[in-house]
Amino acid sequence: MTHPEAASEVDLLFALVRARYGHRLTPEELEGVRTSLAGIVDGVRALRAVPLENADGPLLPPLPDAPGAP
Amino acid sequence: MTPSPVFLPLRELAALVRTRRVSPVALAEEFLERLERFGPRYNAVVTLTRDRALAEARRAEAEIAAGGWRGPLHGIPYGAKDLLATAGGIPTSWGAAPLRAQTFDVDATVIGRLQAAGAVLVAKLAMVELAGGGGYRQPRASFTGPGRSPWHEDAWSGGSSSGSASAVAAGLVPFALGSETWGSIVSPAANCGVSGLRPTLGRISRHGAMALSWSLDKIGPLGLTADDCGLVLEAIAGPDPLDPSAQDRPFRHEAKDPLDRRFRFGVLRAAVDAADADVRARFEEATEVLRTIGTLEDVTLPSLPYDAITRTILFAEAASALEGLVESGALAGLTAPEDRYTLYARDAILAKDYLKALRLRAVVAREADRLLAGLDAVVAPGRFAVAGRLDETFRSAFGGTVVDPTGAIGNAAGLPAVAVPDGFGERGLPTSLQFMGRAWGEGTILAAARAYQARTDWHRRHPAVG
Repeated sequence: MTHPEAASEVDLLFALVRARYGHRLTPEELEGVRTSLAGIVDGVRALRAVPLENADGPLLPPLPDAPGAP
Repeated sequence: MTPSPVFLPLRELAALVRTRRVSPVALAEEFLERLERFGPRYNAVVTLTRDRALAEARRAEAEIAAGGWRGPLHGIPYGAKDLLATAGGIPTSWGAAPLRAQTFDVDATVIGRLQAAGAVLVAKLAMVELAGGGGYRQPRASFTGPGRSPWHEDAWSGGSSSGSASAVAAGLVPFALGSETWGSIVSPAANCGVSGLRPTLGRISRHGAMALSWSLDKIGPLGLTADDCGLVLEAIAGPDPLDPSAQDRPFRHEAKDPLDRRFRFGVLRAAVDAADADVRARFEEATEVLRTIGTLEDVTLPSLPYDAITRTILFAEAASALEGLVESGALAGLTAPEDRYTLYARDAILAKDYLKALRLRAVVAREADRLLAGLDAVVAPGRFAVAGRLDETFRSAFGGTVVDPTGAIGNAAGLPAVAVPDGFGERGLPTSLQFMGRAWGEGTILAAARAYQARTDWHRRHPAVG
């Protein structure tokens, strides 16, 4: 069963997507958006449950070397 | 008598070309004919590049006749996934109907590198639309039709490098270029029973390639053998001023590996347990072969939401990378119904959640490197199941319907992996074994895969074509 907080978050995000793009989407497609959002929210809730320290920064692709830089 | 060039490994094909027993022009014509004749059967081809191929082949032929053999790819035909830009008016569709007439003024860097090595581009190969960035859940997500595995008329060739894998498997090209964000080389290689190499992130320039996820996308080769993949990797690896993410880490593929080399393999049991029974059975048989070339031990990683980490990064970056298609409404022209709306949902991923995924990726990379520092490779099934049927809604890790710890960890941490065939499972379809290594460790995993292929013959079995 979906957690009430997750369901509420899905509702809020769905409202955002519908406000921006709803005019382009059929009712069936909007229902598909809601299902997709439920999957996204499940995933990010799993991420939020993992504690990290302040110093745990993001892993980003390396920056380019600046030619001539010291 | 000169052997047929079809299904010959690259070194054998190169020897025929170098010694002028086979002409590059004749090779190009033979593979163009096979692509034209059999490509539609597998929905493997978007565009035949006949004029360019014959011009490149004639040039190779003249150079070799004049004593200017450039190396093992000189005069060898190949195909490229249709997300790699090609100049000269050759379309680059990204697999998407709205973009089927898209053209670019320049070649992708990898196409230029292969041209410099003397290889001959014969086709742009089919792929899942937008490299799967639309969230597809079934094989019919390409305007060229569902990719078919040459092993069965009702089996998907995999995605998103569908045509790259099926064309190699059917002997329509000696090798191909594909790309992987999460699974798009390893998975179709498994479905089609060929070898596929996902390189380290940053090993190969992505200039001129469709971006799906800047921090996950890799370009890599598919071929009949791990050795073939190594030969191609050597030609395309290296820094590129046009792609700052491409690192100055030249790769040299060994002509031969020491026969007595011993390896230390780790088995991530969670990855094995996630596979279907037939795939697990072939994997256990493969481990018996691996014990003849090294040791195996069960290994573990900390409990983390690996799939969710990689999925969140991919989804958020795809929503941004494909912003132009989202905002223009062009998604409505895509083939798979789910691809017409899923990207809109990804537009709503919060920045903080994306950054949390990137922060957790640093933990994944650190833990994976800690594990791999004591091993030559982690071994696992290349894919959790054999190829599904064309009308099936499939299970996928990025769809959240199956777990793929090796793929999630390997792609999040930018680690290389090579997949090779290891037998046959349900419906007589190929199964696969993957070797995943430490960052920049392609030499080691290719050596291990070559040692495995020296002791097995799965890579020498080919589907009946024509």
